[in-house]
Amino acid sequence: MSGQHPFLTIEGVSKAFGGIQALYEVSFAVQERHIHALIGPNGAGKTTLFNVISGAFPPDEGSIRLDGQDIQGRPMHELVRRGIARTFQNVELFGSMSVLENVLVGCHSRTRCGLIGAMVRWPWVAREERWARERAMELLEMVGLADSALKRAVDLPFGWQRLVEIARALAGDPKLLLLDEPAAGLNAVETEKLSRLIEQIRALGVTVLLVEHDMNLTMDISDRIVVLDRGRKLAEGTPREIQSSDAVMEAYLGKKH
Amino acid sequence: MAALGVAVSNPYEQQLLTIIGIHTLLALGLNMLMGYAGQISLGHAAFFGLGAYGTGVLTTHFQWSPWASLPAVLVFAALSGYLIGRPILRLSGYYLAMGTLGLGIIVHVVFREWDTLTGGASGLVGIPPLTVGRLIVGLGRSGFFAVWATVVLFFVLCGRVVDSRIGRALRALGDSPGAAAASGIHTAHLKAVIFSFSAVMAALAGYLYAHLLGFISPSSFDFLMSIRMVTMVVIGGMASIWGSLLGASVITLLPEWLHVFSDYEMMVYGLILMVVMIFLPQGLTRGVLDAVRRTRARTASS
Repeated sequence: MSGQHPFLTIEGVSKAFGGIQALYEVSFAVQERHIHALIGPNGAGKTTLFNVISGAFPPDEGSIRLDGQDIQGRPMHELVRRGIARTFQNVELFGSMSVLENVLVGCHSRTRCGLIGAMVRWPWVAREERWARERAMELLEMVGLADSALKRAVDLPFGWQRLVEIARALAGDPKLLLLDEPAAGLNAVETEKLSRLIEQIRALGVTVLLVEHDMNLTMDISDRIVVLDRGRKLAEGTPREIQSSDAVMEAYLGKKH
Repeated sequence: MAALGVAVSNPYEQQLLTIIGIHTLLALGLNMLMGYAGQISLGHAAFFGLGAYGTGVLTTHFQWSPWASLPAVLVFAALSGYLIGRPILRLSGYYLAMGTLGLGIIVHVVFREWDTLTGGASGLVGIPPLTVGRLIVGLGRSGFFAVWATVVLFFVLCGRVVDSRIGRALRALGDSPGAAAASGIHTAHLKAVIFSFSAVMAALAGYLYAHLLGFISPSSFDFLMSIRMVTMVVIGGMASIWGSLLGASVITLLPEWLHVFSDYEMMVYGLILMVVMIFLPQGLTRGVLDAVRRTRARTASS
């Protein structure tokens, strides 16, 4: 079964900032086509781990393997080409651009027109541009924003901006999608739509790793959950196992509820 | 523009329009870097001077034909732009401003002090004009057309770049470098590429300038020139191709019109720049467009 193939392997990853140990020997594996959640209280190191995986900075120690290949310390643009895409906790859209243009930027790694090509406009450049536009519109259809394609992205309601960001991430044709708190700031209806969208993305063959505080969403859609606490892995298991774990309840859920 | 070239026969006005064309090339190139990619350069006169001195030295000391020195100068500007841009654009914000400022100062000192080659502070004389068959391209009508044909060409080229994968990547970089990198853009490379492109445009402007005037001196390529270039971009409008034309025109014409204030000329000049920036912070192009839109909306509603 393809589901038993570890697609992303994190092994003994540590990262410190100054005197603060943000991650300490974290290890886990994400199976191909799984929705894998990363939870834990604020400051647990979830976003740091995302940044390390996506190449924003290298880990101090440990290895990260994508589909069997070591990727730690590789530059971000190369990792995007290899199939890692991400969204940001605070939504980072391009403010001067329309929704469509934002998603088109996401196609960057799958197109190749350079400065000379742009000036000369070879026939293949026009074909590539048409292809990218069609692809971007398809993705906007998928997230339900095709009607807003020409609006300025930052003028949209916040929940929609998140969807634009997801469409932009998908435009690079990723194999692994990192979603950093995709439900933050969304209402119940939007969250419900988001969970269906994430399942739809998985159905496309994409492995999803998400950081999320919304427990209903996380428990509902995740195949596996890793709990981080103060930079260490506290527990790992299915949603049911995590919910019945005393340690997790105490460290995280217990305080919250 | 062609009609203007035929209509204007007064040599002073012809020269002024030609200089505006050269300044437009400078502003347009710098706008690609500043306006779109969001990277400042306070030393771009270095590349303007590189084009002028490059062709000046090749055609006077080494007797190259101006047509042979053109590709040499442009390729040199492209390479040096990339090689300097790659490390210097690791800096950002104030630090990038300081770094490029230093670049401009160093290159200016080289122009002034390497006198065996550049003629030093007194300048380089006897640069041959461009010739096409028997036509000599001088500061008159022929120069006007040569410069403005180049400007039109680069208007088209820059318009195409802006409206392309690269143009979107540049704006992405200007808007949010983090998200640009996360979208797969090799930001360090892209910054150096656009720095190199704007260096080539500045060098081309310098090339035309040197061959039209036949004489160059270091003071045309000093720190103040770099600042004037930045001012053209900002006053005209960042990330606006037409803004580069408008900015270059205003910054070139304003001192001419302000001669009537004689001793107070520079004060009035500074005052006008301040007023424009306070009331039209987006630059003249956007400011004028917004004003037109507002008036139209008012007439529509009343």
